[in-house]
Amino acid sequence: MRIHSTIAHYVTQRRAIVWLAVALISIASVFVLVTRMRLDTEVLNLLPSGFESVEGLKVYNRDFAQVRELTFALLCQPQDVDKLEEFAPEFAQRLRHQPWCTRIFAGAPMETAEGIHDLQSIAVPLLLNLEPQAFDQAIALLQPQQIRERLHRLREEIEAGSPRPQMELTLDPLGVIAPALKPFASNAAIEEDQPLTSPDRTMRVFLTVTNQPSISAFDCQKLMQEVNAFRQTATQGWDGGPLQVLVTGRSAYVAEISLSMRHDIIVTVLGSIILVGGVFYAGFRRWIPLFGMGFSLILCCVVALACGLLVFGELNMVTIGFCAILIGLGVDFAILIYGRYQQARDEGFDHPTAVGESVRTLGRAVFFGALTTAIGFLALLLAGSAGFTQLGVLIALGISFAGVFMMTVFFLFLPRKSPPPRRDWMFESVRRYVHWIVAKPASVLWIVTPILIALTALAISPKPPVIFDVSTSSMEPKRSDAGYALKTIMEKMPTRWEPVLGIVKANDAQQLHDYWQRIAAHWQKVQDAGKIKSFSTPAALAMSPARERNNRETLQKLSFPAARDALSAAINAEGFNRDTFGPAFALLDQLQSASYLSLRLPDWRSLLPKSSSWWFLVDRYFAHDPLLSTGFVTTNQPVETQAQQQMLRRELPVSGVPMVLSGWSFTLTDLVPWSHRQLILISSLMAVFDAALLAVLYRDWRLWLIQVATLAMSVASMIATMKLLHLPLNLLNVLAFRLVLAIGVDYGIYVLLVWQNAKKLDHDVAGVVKPVILAALTAICGFGSLGAANNPTLSGLGYACAIGLFWSIVATIFFTLPAAAAAEPKSWREESLQPRVKDPEHA
Amino acid sequence: MRNATAVAFLIFGFTAVVRAEPLAPSEVKALLARIHDKRVAAPDVQADFQEQKNVRMLNKPISSSGKVWFKPPNKFRREVKGNSPSVTVSDGQQLWIYYPNFKSAERYTLGKRSPLDAAIAAITASMNLQNVESLYHISASREADGYELQLAPRNPSMKRLLQTFTIRLSNDLQVQRTEMLQPNGDKIVTSYSNESRAPIPDATFEFKPPAGTDVTTPLGR
Repeated sequence: MRIHSTIAHYVTQRRAIVWLAVALISIASVFVLVTRMRLDTEVLNLLPSGFESVEGLKVYNRDFAQVRELTFALLCQPQDVDKLEEFAPEFAQRLRHQPWCTRIFAGAPMETAEGIHDLQSIAVPLLLNLEPQAFDQAIALLQPQQIRERLHRLREEIEAGSPRPQMELTLDPLGVIAPALKPFASNAAIEEDQPLTSPDRTMRVFLTVTNQPSISAFDCQKLMQEVNAFRQTATQGWDGGPLQVLVTGRSAYVAEISLSMRHDIIVTVLGSIILVGGVFYAGFRRWIPLFGMGFSLILCCVVALACGLLVFGELNMVTIGFCAILIGLGVDFAILIYGRYQQARDEGFDHPTAVGESVRTLGRAVFFGALTTAIGFLALLLAGSAGFTQLGVLIALGISFAGVFMMTVFFLFLPRKSPPPRRDWMFESVRRYVHWIVAKPASVLWIVTPILIALTALAISPKPPVIFDVSTSSMEPKRSDAGYALKTIMEKMPTRWEPVLGIVKANDAQQLHDYWQRIAAHWQKVQDAGKIKSFSTPAALAMSPARERNNRETLQKLSFPAARDALSAAINAEGFNRDTFGPAFALLDQLQSASYLSLRLPDWRSLLPKSSSWWFLVDRYFAHDPLLSTGFVTTNQPVETQAQQQMLRRELPVSGVPMVLSGWSFTLTDLVPWSHRQLILISSLMAVFDAALLAVLYRDWRLWLIQVATLAMSVASMIATMKLLHLPLNLLNVLAFRLVLAIGVDYGIYVLLVWQNAKKLDHDVAGVVKPVILAALTAICGFGSLGAANNPTLSGLGYACAIGLFWSIVATIFFTLPAAAAAEPKSWREESLQPRVKDPEHA
Repeated sequence: MRNATAVAFLIFGFTAVVRAEPLAPSEVKALLARIHDKRVAAPDVQADFQEQKNVRMLNKPISSSGKVWFKPPNKFRREVKGNSPSVTVSDGQQLWIYYPNFKSAERYTLGKRSPLDAAIAAITASMNLQNVESLYHISASREADGYELQLAPRNPSMKRLLQTFTIRLSNDLQVQRTEMLQPNGDKIVTSYSNESRAPIPDATFEFKPPAGTDVTTPLGR
């Protein structure tokens, strides 16, 4: 028994067996979904792996405390700037008291008594980390004569009215720790690079570190619920005009993205079902087949998702677009098969024969259609992105299941008794069009070909250019509060552009210290050469055990009792208040303790209170693992071009120091060549595959050439349309080109295969052109519905594919078909244009 | 005795009322408007001063005297005489403090919202008294020989530097005395005399350190 007869036999005579198989598959799939469903919300997993900058970004996101950082901003009206300055401390105090807030950075810690006290508490370890020469110079100030001279001079400067001596005595009464504290004391550099107040004073920024237990989507949502509740009451007591409380940060983004996933799933799937269902009903005016198609498609989705979970263990957020895409693609098979089945029934065939006839005539086309689409999506594996790999595999699986289910399960829903045929205006229109095309193909070709060629020329032309958006905003969710907050902060604070990260991991403390010493020296040269604006490193905070030991030995030579006596005497002689010098005596005690080599010094991190604002500085440089650290390079301009990126890649590394350069802007720029490769190389490979497949399939160079030209002009028209509509390509929607090639080629295959083998040309070809049009419309709707997704990756992909498929179907109907008609012998066409036989011989 | 006590009470009570009669907000506004009008007519001011600083770090107060020049909105020059002389000059963008005894000078850049800006705003407030309402909560009282303004800073950067700032004005609205109380307990009392409102040339507010001067930038900017 041939395969189409076997299928017809089982779905019409052995229905119980098929239903049982469907039930078993469904139960197993649902079981897998319920027990194993895990969603990966990490947006970085959408980026390709194998890139050092991407991996660096993942390390920075995962291991550094900034992952738990939220940035708040208060934005007032210009007339309320003074009120905002008055209100800011009140707001900061409220933030500090929130249960989810671990610490807050609302101003330079050096300007507060607590900040100075905290700094003094870590002075000794930092002092011991000075290079020997600087340490010797600092310690020389503890000689009795030096102490006396210094206090005398400070006293005279105070009398002369200088504010400096008071500042100096408050921070460093002995004058020895200033060199060691310089990296901390110059924290003003943070405020210069990343100011907390906008130049027009209408915005104040507050950095907070939260105590969320994990960075999972659920914990981010929970945190943001509390944060949003706080935002509702945070402006109490404000008596000015409108005051916005903005918040952004990783947790804010993750919470929004994960919540918007639900929205995206509902909107895209529902939108897809409604649009696809509407097109199907408009084409066939039948409800039960529509229901059968829906059931089969859902079955495809469920089974493919279950397989995906078994393969990958978890699914990335981008795979939420999978169902909408699969519905858009799978429905093609249902429409084609049902179109042929309905045609057979209208011609008088019974149910089993019509089923067999549909499978027989379209089985090959469906097989090749599924094959090209599956391979098109499997090509996403070449993208190297975990998220897109999952998407590709899921759709390849899903489309294969769709091919199988539409030729089996779908028939279970078709009624044995066919309702009386109705007037099918769409089929009639298509038939008339085919009739006309076959008779006068040149008339259409003369109109359509110049249009398609003009669009191709526009696509190739450098003007207008294709908009290629590699900015970080191209990856942000649409309608995102966190995105709006970030954008507003960036606009208000133009100097706040993202630095480039230099991530360094060492095996021990000494190696880390040595690495950063070399990096700092090298970056200083790069800065002096004007190639970067500024930089900051943890060089001074990376402790050197060797230096510490050396400096402690030096301390042993110092007479601490003499220093104490000299200090007491100088205080009395100069009329200073002894209380002011309490920290000085404490520091002498600490230094004396440090001179005992047998005594183990505490880790400086343990000396800094948890609530200290200085932690913002420390956490900026060090990960949870103190041997993993990062430095920051502020470029002269935001990193946007390949030239900038290559210059940084050339200039920043230091020979012998393993360093990963990263940062969002840097990474996205780094990915541009990858994205271009996706666009050109992989799409070309796909086109070559399609061309080879078509050559094998048609074995007719004229039809092959027609279809290859159709594909080329479809993709070119897609590019031209995107140019004209100013739709940008981004790092991810370039994948649309290969999808359009994979799907668009199917339309030609369906039409030309039937064209090649048609006995009654207008009848057979019209019988397939109508379902192909409907299939294309449903695919366009399926992809178009992705446009409603909040996720810009999905919506960008959806729009690009919808445009591409539109041109594919237009080119197939108005170019492929008439071109094929023009290429075939005229006599054959005339023969085929004889009036239809009313009663077919096998009826 | 009872009558004498009553008379004494009346005398002291009357004196007290005359010495410190709080002004209503509308009267404060009117007073500030009068000051404004007077300053607009003759904006430049120069005067001799005598100052006493009670600095927490020192056991004894520091006394100094000298002369001050001011040109709105933010140019000023202040020369301290005596054993520890100094010259402080600001052109609104930069602040120089020069110590002739040490042949050294400190240079500070203004306008970057550093603590120094708040200090300068506090210093110039007494001489300028323009737009003080935006910087301070103001209360005032009528005194026997003039007025007393109590200024409490509004914004946090000034609050960190200044707790209260009291300005004593004569009846013809000349500043006679200022008293600055800082949060750390430091107190600076300055008395002014020989006020002149003659125009002051811009060159007064320019400073070029003499050759051989050691120039430092303590705030690094």
